[in-house]
Amino acid sequence: MSASNGAAAQTTEESLEARMADKTITLEVFRYDPAAGGDPTFQRYDVPYRSDWVVLDALNWIKDTTDGSLTFRWSCRMGVCGSCGMMVNGLPKLTCSTFLKDYYPDPLRIEPLANFPVQRDLVIEFDGFVEKLKSIKPWLIRNDQRDPADGELRQTPKQLAQYKQYTMCINCMLCYSACPEYAFIPGFIGPAAIALAQRYNLDSRDQGQAERRKLLGVQEAVWECTFVGECSAVCPKHVDPAAAIQQAKVTSTIDWYKRFLMPWGKK
Amino acid sequence: MKQSNEAFWWSLFSAGGVAAALFLPAIVVLTGFVLPFAEGDTATRHEQLRELIGWWPVRVLLMLVISLSFFHCAHRMRHLLMDFGVRSTPLLLAVVFYAGAITGTVATVVVISRL
Repeated sequence: MSASNGAAAQTTEESLEARMADKTITLEVFRYDPAAGGDPTFQRYDVPYRSDWVVLDALNWIKDTTDGSLTFRWSCRMGVCGSCGMMVNGLPKLTCSTFLKDYYPDPLRIEPLANFPVQRDLVIEFDGFVEKLKSIKPWLIRNDQRDPADGELRQTPKQLAQYKQYTMCINCMLCYSACPEYAFIPGFIGPAAIALAQRYNLDSRDQGQAERRKLLGVQEAVWECTFVGECSAVCPKHVDPAAAIQQAKVTSTIDWYKRFLMPWGKK
Repeated sequence: MKQSNEAFWWSLFSAGGVAAALFLPAIVVLTGFVLPFAEGDTATRHEQLRELIGWWPVRVLLMLVISLSFFHCAHRMRHLLMDFGVRSTPLLLAVVFYAGAITGTVATVVVISRL
């Protein structure tokens, strides 16, 4: 590249930067402070538009430069921690992976994840979700007492493939926000918890399937699901919790017929 | 820990979905297009169809496909209404739709048996 060409490219880049600096995008952000009382409101912020900015960058810009009181959760900025889930224009998204350029020049409406109680602004209360995860016994259950000296429990790649997909869940709760059944029935243990149960049920090292199958066979577990499929549609990690629920329904149905046809059988 | 009986209705719904997906298109193509538009005498084709339905495995297959499709429809409609927020009378919904499917099954068995 000649010197003049290099200079021209630099000028073009600078003018692009300059033009970009003038551009703004509007964020309508849900605000709610229970300590202050009153109803939730939406506050409009004009944020500089950058094509490489994600929604989380815009929220951080607001917090750093305009309004330090805006409250939201975030941590890793790379779609791993699952903290920054919010409703973006009515759809549950990880804000660290949702680019402004996909919405520009239209305004964005940012709300806390649907179907959860709001603590403040964009922060939700998720104690109930954690309890649901714990309720399905998400750990390897063994009938024998193993000692590290006994060596590792080995698996073939095929055995690993049975459940690996369900280990990818980052507990971001987008699936709970997307699920219309969860909106109606807060007691429904929901997509991520059932996917987690399947993660252990399908693990060749686990021996707790019988215990978990009883937990999954109750109405508030797999049977509240009507296979709308939105949980899998919004999952940022392609875990496909809807498939996990359908698998659990099949095993639960086999258990039901066994109980019905062989009531004297093993409980 | 009370296990749900929803598994029973779901199994009929599921079987109905499979039966409808596998057999209904073939039945529609056969009876709706192939037979009416095939070459030859209509009366002969009609007799051939009667003869086919007279064979008991075909009767059983037809009964199963139609009956399970009723249960598939009933279960889906019940849950569709629940998805739309009709949740104050769940027992009534279940009784209306599954009774409908059972009535449809009885009617199917009677009609096909008389063919």
